[in-house]
Amino acid sequence: MKNKRIHRRTMLRSVGAATVGLPLLEEMLTSTASAANATPEIPVRAFNVFFGLGIPAPLQKEGFRGVLEPLQPLSKKLLIMREVDQVRCDEKGINAHYDGATAAFTAEPPDGEAKSGGPSIDQVIRRAHYPDGLPKGMVPTLVGGTFFRRSRVGRYVHSYNMDGTVAATIQEKPRELFERVFGGVALAGGDRSERLKRSVLDTVVEDYRHYTGANSPLGASSRARVADHLDRIREFEQRAFAMKHRQSSGPQIPPRSIIPHGGPADPGGQGIDITLEQLSSEWRLLSDVYALAVQMDRVRFGALTFLAAGERIRLTGDYMYNGKKLWEFDDAQQQNAGGDKGCSHEWWHKFNEKKKNEALRAHAHMKMQEVAYFLSALDSDECKEPNGRTILENSLITISTESGDGRHNDVKRELSGVFHCITGANGRFKTGQIMDVGAEGIDVYNTMLDAFGTKDRLGPKTRDAQQIDSIRA
Amino acid sequence: MVNERRIAMELRWCVFVAITCGVIVQVSAPPASAADATRVSLGLSAFYTFEEGEGDVVKDRSGSGKSLDLKIEKPSAVTWKDSALVVRSATKIESVHSAAKLATQCKRSNALTIEAWIKPTNTSQKGPARIVSMSSSSVQRNFTLGQERDRYQFRLRATSTSDNGIPDTGSGNGKAETKLAHVVFTRGSDGRVRFYVDGEQTESRKVDGRLSNWNVGFPLILANERKAERPWLGEFHLVAIYSRALSSAEISQNYSAGPKAGIDPHEAQRRELARAEQTFATKVAPLFARHCLECHDTGSKKGDLDLSRKLAAFEGGESGKVILSGNAEESPLWEQIVSGDMPPQGPGLSASDQAVIKEWIDDGAVWSIDMIDPAVYASKPGASDHWVQRLTVSEYIETVRSAVGVDIAKEATRLLPPDLRADGFSNTAYNLSVDLKHVEAYSQLAEMIVQRMDVLEFAKRFSKSQSLNTDATARKFVAAAGEWLLRGPLDDREVTNYSGILTAVASAGGDYEQGVGLMVEAMLQSPRFIYRIETQPDGGGNQRVTDFELASRMSYILWGGPPDEALLKAARDGRLADKDRCQAEVERMLMDRRAVERSKQFAADWLNLDRLTNMQPNQERFPEWTPELGRDMRAETLAFFEELVWKQGRPMSDLFDAQFTYATPQLAKHYGLKPQEGGLRRYDLSGEPVRGGLLTQGSVLTIGGDDASMVTRGLFVMRDLLRGVIGAPPPGVDTTPVPPKPGMTHRDVAEDRIQNESCGGCHIKFEPLAFGLEQFDGLGAFHLKDEFGNQLRSEGQLVVPGEAKPQPYTTPSELMKLLSTSDRVRETLTWKVTQFAMGRPLGARDATEVQQIHQAATSAGGRYADLITAVVMSDLVQKTRSQDEP
Repeated sequence: MKNKRIHRRTMLRSVGAATVGLPLLEEMLTSTASAANATPEIPVRAFNVFFGLGIPAPLQKEGFRGVLEPLQPLSKKLLIMREVDQVRCDEKGINAHYDGATAAFTAEPPDGEAKSGGPSIDQVIRRAHYPDGLPKGMVPTLVGGTFFRRSRVGRYVHSYNMDGTVAATIQEKPRELFERVFGGVALAGGDRSERLKRSVLDTVVEDYRHYTGANSPLGASSRARVADHLDRIREFEQRAFAMKHRQSSGPQIPPRSIIPHGGPADPGGQGIDITLEQLSSEWRLLSDVYALAVQMDRVRFGALTFLAAGERIRLTGDYMYNGKKLWEFDDAQQQNAGGDKGCSHEWWHKFNEKKKNEALRAHAHMKMQEVAYFLSALDSDECKEPNGRTILENSLITISTESGDGRHNDVKRELSGVFHCITGANGRFKTGQIMDVGAEGIDVYNTMLDAFGTKDRLGPKTRDAQQIDSIRA
Repeated sequence: MVNERRIAMELRWCVFVAITCGVIVQVSAPPASAADATRVSLGLSAFYTFEEGEGDVVKDRSGSGKSLDLKIEKPSAVTWKDSALVVRSATKIESVHSAAKLATQCKRSNALTIEAWIKPTNTSQKGPARIVSMSSSSVQRNFTLGQERDRYQFRLRATSTSDNGIPDTGSGNGKAETKLAHVVFTRGSDGRVRFYVDGEQTESRKVDGRLSNWNVGFPLILANERKAERPWLGEFHLVAIYSRALSSAEISQNYSAGPKAGIDPHEAQRRELARAEQTFATKVAPLFARHCLECHDTGSKKGDLDLSRKLAAFEGGESGKVILSGNAEESPLWEQIVSGDMPPQGPGLSASDQAVIKEWIDDGAVWSIDMIDPAVYASKPGASDHWVQRLTVSEYIETVRSAVGVDIAKEATRLLPPDLRADGFSNTAYNLSVDLKHVEAYSQLAEMIVQRMDVLEFAKRFSKSQSLNTDATARKFVAAAGEWLLRGPLDDREVTNYSGILTAVASAGGDYEQGVGLMVEAMLQSPRFIYRIETQPDGGGNQRVTDFELASRMSYILWGGPPDEALLKAARDGRLADKDRCQAEVERMLMDRRAVERSKQFAADWLNLDRLTNMQPNQERFPEWTPELGRDMRAETLAFFEELVWKQGRPMSDLFDAQFTYATPQLAKHYGLKPQEGGLRRYDLSGEPVRGGLLTQGSVLTIGGDDASMVTRGLFVMRDLLRGVIGAPPPGVDTTPVPPKPGMTHRDVAEDRIQNESCGGCHIKFEPLAFGLEQFDGLGAFHLKDEFGNQLRSEGQLVVPGEAKPQPYTTPSELMKLLSTSDRVRETLTWKVTQFAMGRPLGARDATEVQQIHQAATSAGGRYADLITAVVMSDLVQKTRSQDEP
């Protein structure tokens, strides 16, 4: 939480200092110029923001007095929707961490392990408004996330193409997200192969690091030899994957992540130990870079994930809100258990309306605080657009999760009352309300698409759709 | 540190006599009573006797590896009494650093024993209340011995139990009482666990799995849990931790010894003697070899003093005894050294070297080897250390072929930098360094290999499912494929790490085939693929390598490639720990073609045959030379080696005097043999008086260059066949070769050199070794006269290092016969094969084992198979040196 938010102005200042025009920097300036242009046209943008494990429906009822408190400062620009059901996405034999997670933003159950049953809202809107593609140099879809449960893609990827495949490779390190956005136009066409090559190298590096680290089983001579090898790999890495078109006077790349990523981030569903400081710092850095990309108009569509569906972490650390200590996270100790049984996930299994659910509340509150952190980044004065509204107000940002109850013992209850929240999308939807919508997710989503004038709709064509007029402005 | 007081008592009835090198006979009276019985020491990893009497530290008295002392958190909560520590109120007694040595040793052995003499304060404490624990929190542990009201309880982490060591094992109700009790828990490598209370077994059950998931970072804690929430109150009288399961008889022995018995004093004596022997072998003998033996070995024996042999050295020289054991000041040897009179030339011994000699004499002048052989000390300091071995280019190629069925020889040879020779071989571990080019090549090769693989077919061997889901089968697949590719089981960290690639592929919309392909690509670049990774244990002494490490050692020694499925299975089943079964595996592997190829790699490396492909002799002088002839010479030696070693199964020493060879028509003509048609053919040499044996083959004879240098050839025979040691020429000496001329042959030039005062002292040791080869020119053709018409001769003397008497010969064939029957040559072959097998130069610490290998191989017939079997079965291969060893 010590990180200093990256501001657009800071970014532009460093860009201005560069006397030689770089491809990426020129584009950024051009985009900025167009943003400041007299043309009042506001670009269509849609983003999905996912947070893991959900908020039990009874806690949603408490409004801003409860775990939703951190959203209150933005409440005028948000429409919080309760009683949105995803029961139709239930897939027999699997719980909401899989099917509910894929249902978020698609209203469809998963189709196998790495696909959704249909497209996500942002992609349908993108297709409708940019049928010939986004302006040159723009990242077509940006998917990022801070998460530690990786077994199925639907847990953490929340932007899907029309055929249900993932819309873009997810970037989980702030540094890589930065490179993806600002790393030059050459990469904008697609970076899957490079990303995967990196993941091979990351895995290899991690292995060499083990043999040179404190727990290395090797003797001194051998360790020195392997350390030498690791140095060579890093040299190779620098040459192979050096950021293209970078200049020393350009914006600074975010620091390397210190928390685990890739395989080590999910030891077989057993969960990882992490401090609130580590988690929050990583997420906020990622949020900043993502928000910066939106502010610089490098990105108009995509998804951002804060903790995966069915996330398993053992969190420790004091949780402060508005200068007051609300809770001390210590999941394993408080549950007197290790491994997966000591993770925060278990608080959702233990939810009981008649009890205080203090730990669950603290976790859910913290998640709302972190979601609010990202939203706020798009709502500053710097984010004001020609129509007088901020990027937050002009964009469609949909926030959701996998379930309305984490106990896995009642499918209907699990997939009912799934938390949803949207922004006004440049006056398309009501804001400033907490609304009991009482509708199926598919109808809510299709109503949202209707407001964007898309031809495509989610779900089966034969289904009788219901317009949810109450959410329209 | 050992238990001094107790040892002093025990020593009253113990006398040790060291009779020969490393062999000890114990002459002892039986214990007067059960209380005098000694405790079991073998495998002891940590040992606490609580005899400090004051302070806040409990000392580890095991003497094993790095001491694992414990610190009492709240000294006011405890009371010291006679050899016991009373924990009166809650505190924690925690090791000052992690108990890595315990974890490492137990992970290797898959076994342990926790023994405690304790007296609980009450039978109501529970939790269980932690008595002895290796843990990081109330839910993360390697093991815990605890008390749950009136019973003892043991939690053990294994691959079949939880991180908390659950399900636990109980001692049985009513076994914990408020009286002093002997409580022991054992776990054997077969998974059998047993509880003993006061010598009686109270429980026996199976806890399957391995201890490979133990965390090396956990501390050892007495009387509480790490976060101090499970206190135990009572008295500690003794706590011992072994990295093996003690037998019932051994537990009875320790029980009989009682709570006040210290470490076995015999063990202390043994260790002391072993240390003294080690000191002589690794510190004193090298000084003699470097500074004294040039004048005082068996051959030179100046002043009638021979310091190379134990008996002769203690007998002394013309002026009487020079070493007076226990009294350096009165020893003439020391006087001569400290006065600077000896050595007479050169800078003399440094102050620290002098101190080594003085301390050695003062400590009793223990002499642990029969003869100091300078060759043993020839390698540079550190060269024989335990260096992780990178696969050589040929090993990499074979490993890829064997692991995934792809022949990458051409590309690997092109892309990977060649392995450079060091200490006579190109697989010398310390020299197998890595450069950026290696990393680039491994990356490119991995990609090529995967492209050529049938990835789905490969994956099918390990999993029927084609899922990238790590909650489903993907992790099991990674573990199974990883065990095969990386030559041993993966731990959780590794499974997790490589699973990450599958999830990355899934999240990018990739499919199973792509995921597996990239995972294999990563594994092909991982340290466990590129290197032969072994754990170097803590804890002192030599320790058995793990079964999988042994399997890898065996396969790379025998085949130059990875273990096959049968060998991996033998490792998995724990069969390699059994010597007979291990030997049966060696016999099976020797029947495989890969063993033949590996032996030929040895021959090629030993004789440096690769240089033949790059030879460019002077075209004017040797107009008939073609590069093909060089390749033919290489092929000749390898075919000769294969027939003698494998088809005829003859002793290795016959390589020097076998009456056949192989040649192409071109090479046969070069040798003056009647050429046979059609490629490489066998030639009977029984009717050829001058050829027969390795040294008459072009591959070896060309070693002297165009001029057939006597110096180079002589040095080759001396160093590579007789393991002689010779220093570099002194600075300022003109080493320009003197050419022959009319009336003066190479040999005449050499004899002049030998007569020269400044050169002769050294050149006499090796140039005569080449006299018998003078009739072979620089390319190995035979002549009776040289280019100037000078008559060439062949008589000479074989001077074996360390032997006083030269052996005369008159013809090349007599020289070959002398070499083939020389014990020194046979020993050299043992050293060379062993060095190649170990991938490192052999030093003083290896000498005893190599000698045993030599004896075993010689008595079995002296064939390559005998030799390689003896190497594999030796402690050099079966054990590894711990990090603490000097």
